[in-house]
Amino acid sequence: MAAAAEKQKLLIVDDSEMNRSILADMLGDEYEIIEAENGVQAVTVIQKYGTEISLVLLDIVMPEMDGFEVLSVMNQRRWIEDIPVIMISAERRSSRVEQAYALGVTDFISRPFDAVIVHRRVVNTILLYAKQKKLVGLVEEQIYEKERQSNVMIDILSHIVESRNGESGLHVLHIHTLTELMLEHLVRMTDKYVLSRSEIALISTASALHDIGKMAIPEEILNKPGRLTDEEFAIMKTHTIHGAAMIQDSPVHQDDPLVRMVYCICRWHHERYDGRGYPDGLKGDEIPICAQIVALADVYDALTSERVYKKAFSHEKAVEMILNGECGVFNPLLMSCLKEMAGTIQEELRQTGAVRMQKQEMRHVVGEMLNHDELSASERTLMLLEHERMKYSFFASLSKEIQFEYTVSPPMVTLSAWSADQLELPEVVMDPMHDKRVLSRIEADDVSELTDVLHRATIENPRVEYDCQLLLGGEKRWMNIICQVIWSGDELQQYTGIIGKAVDISEMRVKMDTLQQMAQHDGLTGLFNRTYAKQWVKDSLKRRMESQFAMAILDLDFFKHANDHYGHLFGDRVLMYVADQLRHSIRSGDIAARIGGDEFLIFLEYSAQGADIRAIIQRIYNSIKGTYEEFPVSISMGIATTECAGSSYKELFSAADKALYAAKEAGRGRYCFYDDIREKEEEQS
Amino acid sequence: MTLKECYAAMEGDYEEALSRLRSERLMKKFVLKFLDDPSYELLCTSVGAKDGKEAFRAAHTIKGICQNLSLTRLYQSSNVLAEALRAGWNEEARPLIDEVEKDYRQTTEAIRVLKASEDGGNQ
Repeated sequence: MAAAAEKQKLLIVDDSEMNRSILADMLGDEYEIIEAENGVQAVTVIQKYGTEISLVLLDIVMPEMDGFEVLSVMNQRRWIEDIPVIMISAERRSSRVEQAYALGVTDFISRPFDAVIVHRRVVNTILLYAKQKKLVGLVEEQIYEKERQSNVMIDILSHIVESRNGESGLHVLHIHTLTELMLEHLVRMTDKYVLSRSEIALISTASALHDIGKMAIPEEILNKPGRLTDEEFAIMKTHTIHGAAMIQDSPVHQDDPLVRMVYCICRWHHERYDGRGYPDGLKGDEIPICAQIVALADVYDALTSERVYKKAFSHEKAVEMILNGECGVFNPLLMSCLKEMAGTIQEELRQTGAVRMQKQEMRHVVGEMLNHDELSASERTLMLLEHERMKYSFFASLSKEIQFEYTVSPPMVTLSAWSADQLELPEVVMDPMHDKRVLSRIEADDVSELTDVLHRATIENPRVEYDCQLLLGGEKRWMNIICQVIWSGDELQQYTGIIGKAVDISEMRVKMDTLQQMAQHDGLTGLFNRTYAKQWVKDSLKRRMESQFAMAILDLDFFKHANDHYGHLFGDRVLMYVADQLRHSIRSGDIAARIGGDEFLIFLEYSAQGADIRAIIQRIYNSIKGTYEEFPVSISMGIATTECAGSSYKELFSAADKALYAAKEAGRGRYCFYDDIREKEEEQS
Repeated sequence: MTLKECYAAMEGDYEEALSRLRSERLMKKFVLKFLDDPSYELLCTSVGAKDGKEAFRAAHTIKGICQNLSLTRLYQSSNVLAEALRAGWNEEARPLIDEVEKDYRQTTEAIRVLKASEDGGNQ
């Protein structure tokens, strides 16, 4: 039985139980078989076991979620990189096969199953994946180690040059970063220089050796505090030639791209675009772009650093001097590149040290992760935890949300750095329920209500939401608080704490109110608009129990005259007048809406048998018609009731519309019930 | 009744199935299990409801199982039906459903005889 525990897990996904058990019988002796009968179950199983699953056998046609959907989930969550999938299929259409391969499927098993083939494919795929994982790890580790070693060598070498120079230890690092930043920006800005990521990295690395030729310059000249004489300057200039010669004379690696790059940079990092630089007086793009960039980076860093012969200039001053051509002429493209980057260079340089360290560390972590079968579980867990922690703090810093965690024992609330800053509280507050500072950020009523809400949370429903005001930066803001109650993982399932976040919804609340108003109402008359009225009618009809409803559509007669004779502004006032009359003549539970230019709709409820609806309509009709500033307001109206016309919006509307048409036909200025014309219709037919 | 005789009655390919599955014991186990497979029932109910998608899935599953067990006759009719239903419900599928029904009857009747002789033999 002990051996059974060590069996590798294999997931079989097929909706037919028969097919699953045929496969299980073929493989069950050597593997632990987990079965899933549709895609959703498969995803749940993979979620649960992760890379403990050595292989997935996946059917295509299944209910709930089919094989292709499972594959795309596996791609989204990047499971496909670690868990091989063999597709079971009778599909012979190559487009489907191609699609499956594109989604990362390793192999196909076609129906009908052949026991030997199934077995062999499964074994091969599992072996292949295990081997590949090991190899990737090894290669990664070797590359990393090699790169680390050469970086160390370059750092030592450039440090020697620098220390002889009396330059700050940061010069080389700055040049490296500036070169990298400017190249990256340049590539985004223009497609004139085609540089891949690895070429950019190569140039940046090579830039570290740009001043290696200074080894050949006498120290008195190199470190002379005052201005150099012409002869001295002529000697100083030769560091470009000396550097290039050192590289060229080196007996090995002449064909290495890095060596050739270093040669260009050493020799030409003092050339200028107008041909007035040294040593060769190259002009324009005769100067390789790597040397142009390093030249610019060198000038910028020289200006902003202190040297024996000068004080450091500010970033702004340095950029201004370069743009004014005080340090020679540079490629205009590089000048606009510098201009665009001017705002961010300083910040980027300041971060350089930390970020680069992190990057390297990350690479190392990735390398080790890929090697994970050699690591013990606990080390891997720690590494994953560390990774999660990094991810969490990164997202927390971006999210602009109050994020907190509360533990019951000891009673303590922990806030993210940003949250603590906003709330003007320390990041950790002990016994927060009795802490005056905490209690001054939130109303006492809200505290007790939130507590109640939290107590109603259950293990099945651990999430609660609560809206209230919090004091942020001295100002009361509406916040939406979402909490998840946490229970201990053991059998006792004790309530251990809460994690949660609060999102500022003040602006949203205001916006929502206006939007709701706008979405529901007609801008001119303030009555409901057509869309909202339609929804209202539909909802009311859905809720309808025993009551009856009537819908009336009315139209202003000769409204075109009002517009034509008195102008549109007057026309608008007539519409507003009618809207007002409507508003006042309907009861509180009824609604009136403007559904078109001069078309209105009324929707009312009446309870008893049809008798009183006619009286209500008569009253409304009378209250609207009349005159407005000598303009006779005459209306035609059609009414339909649920008693007679049916109980859907569509039926009511079309019946009311028919009745309105009949009222117009009969000479306008009147109303007509669909009930009446329907009787007539029936008599006629 | 032997499994081989059963295959003859079902118009299946005994030799082919044995060459793939490599064990008569397994073959018999699965053939007997076919009686409990719910796919045919699903086919009937989804045809009743004119649910083309589910009917396709049911026909497709029957076809897959038959293919694995080399139940050639039923495989052929269910394969034709599955292809006809792939694009959704259509009335042209009716005669194909009748075909599948006929072949399913023939197949399950043969398996029941096999099962009866198995049960009898065991006692």
